[in-house]
Amino acid sequence: MTASWDSVYTVYTEMDGAFTISQSDKRAMYLQIMEQIKQRIALGDWKEGQPIPSIRQLAVDLQISVITGKRAYLELEREGVIVTQQGKGSRVASKPGLGMQLREQELEQHLEQAARIAGLLGMRPRELEERLREAGDRLNHRKAEKETV
Amino acid sequence: MNDFAIEMSGVSKRYRFFSLEDIRLNVPEGQIMGLIGPNGAGKSTTIRILLGLVHQDEGEVRVLNRRMPAEQIGAKWDIGFASEDMRLYESMTLDWHMRFIRSIYPGWDAPYAQLLLKRFGLRAEQKIKGLSHGQRVKATLLLVLARRPKLLVLDEPTTGLDPVARHEILRELTSVMADEGRSILFSSHHTQDVEQISDRITFIDRGRILDSMDKEVYLDRWRRLRLETPAGVELPALPGIIGVRQEGRLAVATANAFIPDLVGAYESAGARVQRVESMTLEEIFVANVEYSREREEVQA
Amino acid sequence: MRGSVVGQLILKDWVLYRTQLLLMIAGGAIGLAVVLRGGQGPFTIGAVAFFVAMVLVAHMLPMAGIVNERKNKNLAFLMSLPISSTQYTTSKLISTFGLFLISWLTLVAAAVVLIETRGMAPRGFIPMLLILALLPFVGFCLMTSAALVGETEGWAIAANVACSSSYGLIWTYMVQVPALTANAAGPVPVWNSTVLRILGVELGLIVLILALTYYLQSRKRDFI
Repeated sequence: MTASWDSVYTVYTEMDGAFTISQSDKRAMYLQIMEQIKQRIALGDWKEGQPIPSIRQLAVDLQISVITGKRAYLELEREGVIVTQQGKGSRVASKPGLGMQLREQELEQHLEQAARIAGLLGMRPRELEERLREAGDRLNHRKAEKETV
Repeated sequence: MNDFAIEMSGVSKRYRFFSLEDIRLNVPEGQIMGLIGPNGAGKSTTIRILLGLVHQDEGEVRVLNRRMPAEQIGAKWDIGFASEDMRLYESMTLDWHMRFIRSIYPGWDAPYAQLLLKRFGLRAEQKIKGLSHGQRVKATLLLVLARRPKLLVLDEPTTGLDPVARHEILRELTSVMADEGRSILFSSHHTQDVEQISDRITFIDRGRILDSMDKEVYLDRWRRLRLETPAGVELPALPGIIGVRQEGRLAVATANAFIPDLVGAYESAGARVQRVESMTLEEIFVANVEYSREREEVQA
Repeated sequence: MRGSVVGQLILKDWVLYRTQLLLMIAGGAIGLAVVLRGGQGPFTIGAVAFFVAMVLVAHMLPMAGIVNERKNKNLAFLMSLPISSTQYTTSKLISTFGLFLISWLTLVAAAVVLIETRGMAPRGFIPMLLILALLPFVGFCLMTSAALVGETEGWAIAANVACSSSYGLIWTYMVQVPALTANAAGPVPVWNSTVLRILGVELGLIVLILALTYYLQSRKRDFI
């Protein structure tokens, strides 16, 4: 938890330490921030309607520029993920099933990615299906192992 | 009420072997500006002009709404300046320096100073000569930060620091931004740091400003396009492409004003666009300097 | 508010250089003590020690207080404070001058007192003492000016060499002027026109050098 030493500034939802910007991640910082926020909403850590840090507070906590935070929030607002009100700060949008929706989006992105790479490898759709099934089995197998230990 | 912490226009300074020409630079209040450029580009001179330590030959400089160098005393009450070629008194302790600054500036925040001592791992009773280079840099920055000045002007604040110390400094610099009325201008060779915390970036080379704009916009304008050119295909010169490097059938086009249409333009010309990559600030730095110098040579 | 920043700077110099200063006053005092023991040999040795102490202070203060401050890159730190370059010059001149005056006055006053009360030397020697003691003072002004205006160690050293080599010459010349030496061994200090003229020249030089220093400093456009 990065609690600000000077709480004269806005009261906010504390940022958890898992929020990090990766230098080696080739994607722009604002995209990384957007993804991490969406993840938390998708997982239910950040609930619908919950207030989130102001852009300035975000910048301070993550050690990024205010402008990057602004951009991330702007895009998130455009996508309907968050809502910002003048003078009241920002909140997670209170759309029912938002978490689900974001999860769906993530899945779509990953599937498209997989399809694209499969195409580059010259794989046929059937092969890709097979591989997907195998991956699912491996995942279940590992889960089962963990439970028995 | 002025909206700018720093305004420079038409600023020139001429030395025997070097000159700053027509410098134009604006830092809105509440923002961080990163100043980058190769060694000898003029960063330090520009910063000294901002502090009134060097008088410009031409041009207007306003810092915190005060004309420089004429009103430098008034301005310096609200400016915190630290530069790479600044040293504290070796034979005195850090505590002495803290008391010295405290006796001059009313805004000294003693609890914050104590917190910084802890965060930076410094001991106030230690004499400056007993400190390592990194500790000295941190000590100098502590003296500047604890005053909570409206504007911080820092010349290479993280140069020569180990990664942990750099991280500590960046943390304190970004925390300054919690106050909308405070601004920072800093120069650095660590393009990663500049990329991470700057709101605006100014690029200077050989005494001239190459670029000065919003960081996100800037990063969006630069792209590297990896192209394949079949035999007999000539790559057209396109606006927004700063330069192309060709080797056999592969080419890399660097765009400094990228628009998606460029992809189409190349493909219409018969080239195949393999990939469009974004560039880190470091890559932009190198490309910008290389290509702009090439251009200069061609024009000369 | 402005005055107090300059005040803080002067205070700072006092703290930084007081130990060295006291050491040199001590050196001069020892010289006087030696002279007091009486006899021709001790007089020469003591007098030399006395003047050497004065010359050391005259030359050390500008070097340590001004040249080194720039060499050690402390100047940028000071100029980041809310002062103008003129105020910096003022604070430097006041503190350096102040420190020098303290030691100079102490030593000269001690010498005069010893002459008056203990007969360390004939009272007729007092004008000569003053004239000779003012030499390092002028030298000090020159050194200080060179350090401030010239900025580099080179200029300060040049001034140092020029002054040091001059003292001896001037001293040799002075002891040959009848108007000065005639009454030196007498019981009464004689302030004739020659004495007054020479004192006037020395004091005039001091004022001139100071004024010139201020002028040249204010014309600088690249302070660092």
